[in-house]
Amino acid sequence: MINNKSEVILGRLLLVIALVITLVPLASMLSAALQPADQNPTGFVWPSDPQWINFVTAFEVGNVFRLMQSSALIVLGVVPISIIIATMAGYALGGLRMKGGRFILIFFVLGLTIPFEALIIPLYYQAQSMGTLNTQLAIVFPLIGLFMPFSVFWMRAHFVNVPPELSEAARVDGATTWQEFVRIQLPLAVPATSALAILLFLWTWNQFLLPVVLVADPLNRTVAGALTFFQGQYSLSIPLLNAGALLIITPAIIVFLIFQRQFVRALLQGAVKG
Amino acid sequence: MTLFRTRRGGTGLAVVALSAIAAAALTGCAPGSSGTASTTSQAPVSTELTTDDVVLTIADETGFPVTDKLTEEFTKQHPNVTFNITRDTFQNLTANAPKLLASDTPPDLIRLPTLGDTVKDGLVANLDPYFDAYGWDKWPASQLAPLRMTEDGTRGSGSLYQLGLGYSVTGIYMNTKLASQLGITAPPQTLDELEKDLAIAKAGGVQPIMSGDKDGVVNFVVQAAMNQYADKDEFLSWMFNEKGATFDTEGNVKGAELIRKWADAGYFPSDINAIDYFTFNSNFTGGQGLFAWNGNWEAANYQKALGSDVTYFLAPPATAGGKHVAMGAANSFSVAAKSKHLNEIAYFLNWVHTDEKARQIIVDVTGASPGGDPSLALPSVESGSLIGQALEMSSQLGAEDGQVDFMANTTAGIYAGSIIPESQLLVTSQITGQEFVERVQKFYEGEVG
Amino acid sequence: MSTRAPLITRRVAVSAAARRATIAAWLLLTPALIAYISFVIWPLILGVQYSFYDWNGIGPSTWVGFENYLTVVTDPTLLASIANAFILVAFFTVIPVGVGLMLASLIRTMKAGPFTTISQTILFLPQIIPLAAAGIAWSWMYAQTGAINQFLSAIGLGGITRSWLAGYDTALPAVGLIGSWVLTGLCTVLLLTGISKIDGSLYEAIRLDGAGWWREFFTITLPGLRQEIAVLITLTVIAALSSFDIIYTSTQGGPGRATLVPGISIFRIGFTQSDVGLASAFGIVLMVLVLAVVLPIQRLSRTSDR
Repeated sequence: MINNKSEVILGRLLLVIALVITLVPLASMLSAALQPADQNPTGFVWPSDPQWINFVTAFEVGNVFRLMQSSALIVLGVVPISIIIATMAGYALGGLRMKGGRFILIFFVLGLTIPFEALIIPLYYQAQSMGTLNTQLAIVFPLIGLFMPFSVFWMRAHFVNVPPELSEAARVDGATTWQEFVRIQLPLAVPATSALAILLFLWTWNQFLLPVVLVADPLNRTVAGALTFFQGQYSLSIPLLNAGALLIITPAIIVFLIFQRQFVRALLQGAVKG
Repeated sequence: MTLFRTRRGGTGLAVVALSAIAAAALTGCAPGSSGTASTTSQAPVSTELTTDDVVLTIADETGFPVTDKLTEEFTKQHPNVTFNITRDTFQNLTANAPKLLASDTPPDLIRLPTLGDTVKDGLVANLDPYFDAYGWDKWPASQLAPLRMTEDGTRGSGSLYQLGLGYSVTGIYMNTKLASQLGITAPPQTLDELEKDLAIAKAGGVQPIMSGDKDGVVNFVVQAAMNQYADKDEFLSWMFNEKGATFDTEGNVKGAELIRKWADAGYFPSDINAIDYFTFNSNFTGGQGLFAWNGNWEAANYQKALGSDVTYFLAPPATAGGKHVAMGAANSFSVAAKSKHLNEIAYFLNWVHTDEKARQIIVDVTGASPGGDPSLALPSVESGSLIGQALEMSSQLGAEDGQVDFMANTTAGIYAGSIIPESQLLVTSQITGQEFVERVQKFYEGEVG
Repeated sequence: MSTRAPLITRRVAVSAAARRATIAAWLLLTPALIAYISFVIWPLILGVQYSFYDWNGIGPSTWVGFENYLTVVTDPTLLASIANAFILVAFFTVIPVGVGLMLASLIRTMKAGPFTTISQTILFLPQIIPLAAAGIAWSWMYAQTGAINQFLSAIGLGGITRSWLAGYDTALPAVGLIGSWVLTGLCTVLLLTGISKIDGSLYEAIRLDGAGWWREFFTITLPGLRQEIAVLITLTVIAALSSFDIIYTSTQGGPGRATLVPGISIFRIGFTQSDVGLASAFGIVLMVLVLAVVLPIQRLSRTSDR
């Protein structure tokens, strides 16, 4: 391959700049979080006397443990069910030849363009009439529905690319559609479903609008939805606010770092395959 | 990947789908209840506290620990009554309050800065029976007036729907250390004197006014200026949503123009719209700013940070010897109409106003006046302390009958929807005082009319 | 799609199986359809219904026809918030996709190794954290004593330091750049993978032809990435037009109404002001706007299919 030396250098340079710009806001959060809690931070510096205690204070004052429990509960409510029903639907649309499948797909995909803001007000009254308002279920049910367009689309993209010979072989062996789905298709779909699981985990964990509107008690929200509560709870003390925000994003970053290899690969494959 | 692998007809389908949705929506019946919400049958009014174990729920805003302290003391005195308190930011709480009250499991007691439609919709309990039963007629009527509402939604008279956990007063804090450096020896007695002090500070390189407007604090300054020119009753009638009342009065415009003048003169911090409440306080207690307009609730904090270098006084009148007018309001709470513990909550509210320890907690935690029967002894405070000054201001204001509500409480949406954004424009010289007043009034008409 | 066998031959061969499969397919689809219809389509229908009423969300409602829609398209405040959302497209879409393209095409030849893995991870980080947290992080970056002003002072530009979120001219671009920060990494990583799928010999050929980076970019890279670009534009435009979290935690729409966007307006009108009808109408208008912008973009990828 022929390459111009200056291009290579320019490329590296730009990449390094992009990396720095990406990291600085996070570093500046850390710098703010370590400065004395009762004052406004004085700038982006490594404090001479880092106040690690701020993280402990933020953890306690912000009820972070309870928030994480609440978030975990919501994630457990949303992710497994979404994965199961989206995998089934994705197989129906991608693996089985069904009449009208194309229209069903369009019907789902149109949902990708609906901004949450357009639905939030009806969702509120729906939750009220279902009696789920102010409970974690008020977040769980709508999120499953709202994630369906993407999840179904994603799983369909996987099943479309499974060679049809596989299922034909199974049919010859006399397997029913269900048996074939469970024994042959599901094991093959594990990478696609695990990537989807990570994505749905992140989207649920980071969900903001629904929790703020549908659950009045911040302690029953997702951690992201509780960030506004932090803004009030710390009387807007910038060091504590940043410490709290860092605590909240840590689990998401950990999950991402653990799974990032398969995650990025699957995301890229899935997103560009059709 | 293509999000829309439609080839053809995708848009068409979308149109069909949307029309179908529209058709379905139009044939449905109207949303909302057709009648007024029916209140669940209540136990007969009683001033005896139950002996059963009950858990009362309270929804309060974050950053105000007074309910924690009060309920703790109440449970100590009455162990069969415990409390469950949830908190959210002021902004979220005001947005959610009506819906919380309408839900099947409303909090028994809720922080409700603006009654809004809640009375009309039958969401909050009428406290008149308890007013009679407990003899609250001994309490200052002017303190309770803003907590009343008529059936057609006008505040200021009618039945009692709220009570305060403390009654606040606002004024001006002055950094006396900076003042004496500038040669200012005493708090200004008139608006003119105040303006002179501001000019002296500016010339002396001291930030004349510390304030912020990211979240609207500067409106303490704006309204304090208006108060001195406006007809108090006319201003109040607007805040109480009386028919035909207007914000666009000569006095209000004059006050707003004064703020514009101060903005032009550079008396406000240049980045005022980036300063939030915390930064504002942290700046003032850090020694930035000669004056800060704020309420009694910060008295203890300011004292702690500035020691003896700070004093507190009511905003001065326009002319020498004029009466003082200042904002003050109940830290207002309402009881949910659907609450199953009306008697217990009313007992608690009465206790807050009458129990010696409760009154002391109100003063210690909030610096606010505990309200209630004026013949009751006032809680003890360190003499000469800011809290002591605040209590004196409170009683002076009561004697001069100069208390007005906060204009932010006029309607539920007016603060976030209009007063904050327009005041941001006003204090940075983007609009005139006249425009400020007109725009807020226009928003008001949209919401009330 | 290309992996599918011709339909006709299959239909003849396995028509009974096909019928069986269709029934099975519908059974498998049902749970997903129920979830989707119950919590997306039904609320949408309710939203359309609310939009024709004057309703405070609790009491009785009055039918007002198209009055709420008329308000949306005539109220200067609401129109301004829509305009702001479109300005945000420049920051949420143009910058991330543009920078992503430039970066990806310049570093496409980098060998896979620890550095590329770490770079990818770092570029992805802003996608992982809640937007609300990004708003908080950047509010502090933009503050008077924050990192941006510190940097400007350090390079001798102390004269232009200010509170970036407090200025009428700077607040919206500042908020927009938070979006650029969140989305640029995603765009770069996705485009890099897209480039890796373009036939390498095409690049060799054009280089032998004496073409520079510029011509190579326009004749090979850009056309080869059509699909990825269409996807990214779609995703980022939706993110721009329906932005909420970042603004809610950074400026709340201020100063004045400089950063007011439809999401914030809907939230305020619907919940703080309790005007459910108007908020619903605005929500529907927002959805239609998103569709109107996003559907034409699909042409971009469609033509490349053939």
